[in-house]
Amino acid sequence: MAELTLDSITKVFTEDDGNEIVAVDDVDFEIADGEFLVLVGPSGCGKSTTLRMVAGLETITEGEIRLGGRRINDKPPAERNIAMVFQSYALYPHMTVKQNMSFGLEESTDMSDDEIDEIVTDTAEMMGIANLLDRKPDDLSGGQQQRVALGRAIVRDPEAFLMDEPLSNLDAKLRATMRTELQRLQEDLGVTTVYVTHDQTEAMTMGDRIAVLDDGILQQVGTPLECYHTPNNYFVAGFIGEPSMNFFELDVEGDALVGEHFEYPISDQLRGAVSGSDSVTLGIRPEDVEFRADAMPTEPTDFACTVDVVEPTGDANNVYLTFDDDNSDEPRTFIVTVSGMDRVESGDKVVARFPESAIHLFDEFSGEALKNRSLEDVESVDISI
Amino acid sequence: MIVFYLIPIETGLMTAITDPSAYTGSAPYLPPAPGDVSLGPFTNAVDALSQGLANSFILVVPATILSGLLGSMAAYGLTTVDWKGQIGIYMLFVAGIFIPYQAVLVPLTQFWYNVVPLRTTVESVAPMIPLLQEFHWKLIALIVTHTAYGIPICTLLFRAHYKKLSDEMVEAARLDGASITRIYRRIILPLSVPMFAVVFIYQFTQIWNDLLFALTIIQFGDASVVTQDLVSIGVSQEGTNFPLRMAAALVAALPTLLVYIFFGDKFAKGVTA
Repeated sequence: MAELTLDSITKVFTEDDGNEIVAVDDVDFEIADGEFLVLVGPSGCGKSTTLRMVAGLETITEGEIRLGGRRINDKPPAERNIAMVFQSYALYPHMTVKQNMSFGLEESTDMSDDEIDEIVTDTAEMMGIANLLDRKPDDLSGGQQQRVALGRAIVRDPEAFLMDEPLSNLDAKLRATMRTELQRLQEDLGVTTVYVTHDQTEAMTMGDRIAVLDDGILQQVGTPLECYHTPNNYFVAGFIGEPSMNFFELDVEGDALVGEHFEYPISDQLRGAVSGSDSVTLGIRPEDVEFRADAMPTEPTDFACTVDVVEPTGDANNVYLTFDDDNSDEPRTFIVTVSGMDRVESGDKVVARFPESAIHLFDEFSGEALKNRSLEDVESVDISI
Repeated sequence: MIVFYLIPIETGLMTAITDPSAYTGSAPYLPPAPGDVSLGPFTNAVDALSQGLANSFILVVPATILSGLLGSMAAYGLTTVDWKGQIGIYMLFVAGIFIPYQAVLVPLTQFWYNVVPLRTTVESVAPMIPLLQEFHWKLIALIVTHTAYGIPICTLLFRAHYKKLSDEMVEAARLDGASITRIYRRIILPLSVPMFAVVFIYQFTQIWNDLLFALTIIQFGDASVVTQDLVSIGVSQEGTNFPLRMAAALVAALPTLLVYIFFGDKFAKGVTA
């Protein structure tokens, strides 16, 4: 067990025609001993490449990777003492589950067959796959294969686990179960883990910290809630959260932020944030929009809206609103999440309020966060049993 | 349709069990009259071809296994292992498929008879090694020739198979600590079994049925393989002994038939894999 450090890691691929593609650009982060870090980003953002560099499956163009303080750049994968779980599970199809799990120990250690047998059996029992040991991967369900792949990584007793979208081939229900199971397992084993995913739900729920990557550049490293409430920039704000944050492009004009369909007053508190910009992007999370039925706007931050579409999810309703001022043929909608018990129907006239404490402002050009929502109204909940 | 395809074989079989003296005047595709049935042609054919059959087996088995094994290794090195310039090397292999047999006949003869001292070597060690005969040097030359000629097509077939194997699986094996040779032995080779069936059937048939290289390299003598013996069997100045020729042809074809029967199911798996 050890801490893992990525120090200014860059990966440049050279194509056959000589074009250079920067897949990973100067990425820095540290993962503490036993920490669970989720590396998240859209397809092609370089997250898998980063993971593969840690594993030793890709060469590192620049920078240094250290595991437990030792530089591992030049070590072959086998000597890094790292185990990886692949998206396709990558089980050896001609071997039984037991042989699959033993393979790594046979190849990388001098253990006797009995010792290996004992470790494999113990791990299989822990993973609940002891009854599958003599079967071959083709005879197993997706969830069982997933467990075997995990078990194969665990028997190695590595210093770090690398997981490359290990749950993406499972159906939704199983994925949710495995998510919790994986988390519990990682906590029990206490092994430093890097987990790559494009699924922001996995990122939010599983990681101690998440690292958001876009276009090869690290956007933010922080706890899930930090990334959710205080995103560094426009990209992180839009990527984390489901449904996504609403964004509106506004110009800074005198005392107001002026958009196509509404104006947002610049209060004294906002003045400082927008002073350096001509145009900003206002962001607000769907659940932060305050929403009331059939009332006229009373505050400058209230906007008259009409309900376009309602998507009930049971516990909540995703309500798509259009501004009443928007007379275009295809008015733009924004999303508000309200309690599932609220009755909202398409065509209802409503008022949406964007509370100043809840809005985010981003520079339109750099995307940098100028103002994030205040966390003063975050209540800590005491649970006494 | 089936009848159409089977008539030649049926005719051959009927002819082969007819007493040669009764053959003239009977319809070759009809079963012989009960009094004219004879297994003589078969026993004669086996007697006459036994040396050729033995030589063919000495040739075919090693040549098939070697070309399959080397082709598999080459394909592994050119596909699964990543290194610069492998496409260029692979192109050389592919080009090998297109070298016409006719173009190499003369150089091949020169090579084995004049360049490589294989004959003298084998002749000098033959007395010391049991079962090794002096004429075997020609078979060894033919084994090497067929192996070399078979490697490109085998490599092509195995490469197609290896490209379909999961990269992640090979990477998992690397992370598990297996070296390149260990990955080949413990992962790739066991997963190649269906493809080996395809390659073995193909190579076995090719080499067994080959006459051109045999005529060029072996030419004549004790080392003659079965296809060479088949040319002259049952032909004499008194006329052609058709039942004997038919029986010999069936005997010579039998091993390839057996190979198809034994490896057929694996062959199907390999083709569809």
